[in-house]
Amino acid sequence: MASNSIALRLSGLFALIAMLVFVLIGWALYLQVEKGLGLLPAAELDARYSVLESAVNRYGTPEHWAKINAKLKLLSEEDKRIHFWVVSDNPLYEFGNPDATIRQFAEGRLGMRSLQLPNSEFPLKVLVSQFPAKDQRPPLRFMIAIDTQTFWNTQHALLMALISLAGIGIVLASALGYWAARIGLKPLASLSLEAQKLTPPRLSGRLQLSSLPPELDQFVSSFNSTLERVEQAYSRLESFNADVAHELRSPLTNLIGQTQVALTRGRSAEHYFEVLQSNLEELERLRSIINDMLFLASADQGSKATELTCASLAEEVATTLDYLDFILEDAQVQVEVHGDASVPIEKAHLRRALINLLHNAVQHTEPGRVIRVDIHSDGEQASVGVTNPGGVIDAEHLPKLFERFYRVDASRSNSGANHGLGLAIVKAIALMHGGSVFVRSEAGINTFGINLPH
Amino acid sequence: MRVLIIEDEEKTADYLHRGLTEQGYTVDLSREGIEGLHLGLENEYAVIILDVMLPGLDGYGVLRALRARKQTPVIMLTARENVDDRIRGLREGADDYLGKPFSFLELVARLQALTRRSGGHEPVQVSIADLWIDLISRKATRAGIRLDLTAKEFSLLSVLARRQGEILSKTSIAEMVWDINFDSDANVVEVAIKRLRAKLDGPFESKLLHTIRGMGYVLESRDGE
Repeated sequence: MASNSIALRLSGLFALIAMLVFVLIGWALYLQVEKGLGLLPAAELDARYSVLESAVNRYGTPEHWAKINAKLKLLSEEDKRIHFWVVSDNPLYEFGNPDATIRQFAEGRLGMRSLQLPNSEFPLKVLVSQFPAKDQRPPLRFMIAIDTQTFWNTQHALLMALISLAGIGIVLASALGYWAARIGLKPLASLSLEAQKLTPPRLSGRLQLSSLPPELDQFVSSFNSTLERVEQAYSRLESFNADVAHELRSPLTNLIGQTQVALTRGRSAEHYFEVLQSNLEELERLRSIINDMLFLASADQGSKATELTCASLAEEVATTLDYLDFILEDAQVQVEVHGDASVPIEKAHLRRALINLLHNAVQHTEPGRVIRVDIHSDGEQASVGVTNPGGVIDAEHLPKLFERFYRVDASRSNSGANHGLGLAIVKAIALMHGGSVFVRSEAGINTFGINLPH
Repeated sequence: MRVLIIEDEEKTADYLHRGLTEQGYTVDLSREGIEGLHLGLENEYAVIILDVMLPGLDGYGVLRALRARKQTPVIMLTARENVDDRIRGLREGADDYLGKPFSFLELVARLQALTRRSGGHEPVQVSIADLWIDLISRKATRAGIRLDLTAKEFSLLSVLARRQGEILSKTSIAEMVWDINFDSDANVVEVAIKRLRAKLDGPFESKLLHTIRGMGYVLESRDGE
């Protein structure tokens, strides 16, 4: 499974969150317990002391003191954690065989203190108190000590339990999280299964919205619209390939057929000459198609107009009209030019686009009519629109007129000079300049034009 | 005039060799880059025709090595016609650039342009049979009768007349008369030739402006045939 799997990432996140929660709660719990456990030894010592205090205070004779000794002995045997020491000048009034360390400790401050004995791992909690002399008894220091090992042990066990519980919790959270994520992501898996079925040439299918959670709505609808564009482009490409093959097929048929017929029997030199000339015409047609296709292909690959110079569009139109002068005269068509704008263009390319636009207009204009060229300019772009009075173009054709080999009238598909790439080249040139093309048809007035950015 | 062709594609090399020989050039042919470069450096050529895709050393390599020592004019040929290739070829020092498929006439026209560039003077007057053209005052007469030509028609006539006897393709005519160097759907040259022919040849018995089908047009007197 890929390292960026959503389920894995989610389970990792769950583990992280669980760890954070467990650490916070465990830490607070541990602090609370530690505080409570810290108070326990002192409370126990206080309790024992309050029981013994009055007896020790009261008895001053050796006979009575023997009772105290017996009581202390009994108590320390009852509870091994508890130690008693009594230190005084008279050995008769002592208890617990205090050694030098104890004696020295006994001389210190009264109250609750800690004593670390050399042979013990944990310190003793000691309550040191003093009793004044009474009868024959000298003043004495009375010490009750409690071993803190059990408290430490309890605390340690708690810590271990917390850590292992947290560990188990984290593993559990991440495993359950993974499982939950897998279940939650099931719609995605079925979505991708469905999407896998949509490969060319089966692009007409769409992802179904109804069975999917609402969170995926936006994704699915944008995926579907992408799919729609891809399908359109794909079918355009397919029909383009078919068109190319078709366009190349008729000149090739002529070439092969004519040459074969010429070679099947001996012919006069004039005949061969004629066949070669006819072949050359067909070959020229092929060459022109291929050159145009190469031009379109280079525009498709994102080739940009590079040698940009700022030029007056009206002047470029005038140059183009000069070139087309004879054609216009032959067609008995007038051209009016209105407006002007100055934009950066690659002159040779733009001239080609203008020739194609104007030539297209001339071909569809009746003799005696007028073609109008309008040059507009606004803040962002300039436009050249070529308007001619002509037949009504059905709205269904309009968006496709700039496509390669697209012809409104299918019967014209093999007219010699015009191989149906003229307007496609106009569009390619517009794109090379970062511009666009437009077409309008209203009541027999048709406008084809090009927008160019400033 | 001696030219060198460096081209590995057999058919191309052969028809260029034959065609240019028939045009009066002395032609040397090499089918690979290193040998071609050697020939180019050893001998003096009027022009070298150099293919880009070559075995051994490619056209750019040949051009670079050649330019290090010599300024022989070079026309590059390539099947990959895109702007970058063109710019690269010209930057490396090529004098001209033709993308395949190119027409043979086009190549001859470019060759002549390159060889003419050095020296040679533009004629002031041209006469073909009974046609007389003054290129300075832009007047033309035939059999002593003034031809009433528009400015464009005269430009077309003078382009043809300067290269009398040479076949000019539609593309080169469009380039020389209108400065249009691409094929367009508009058959402007055909229409212009038709008009010129009506004025130039229409009223006269002997025809001077001839159409070579599939190739182009030529201005010459064929009465002697």
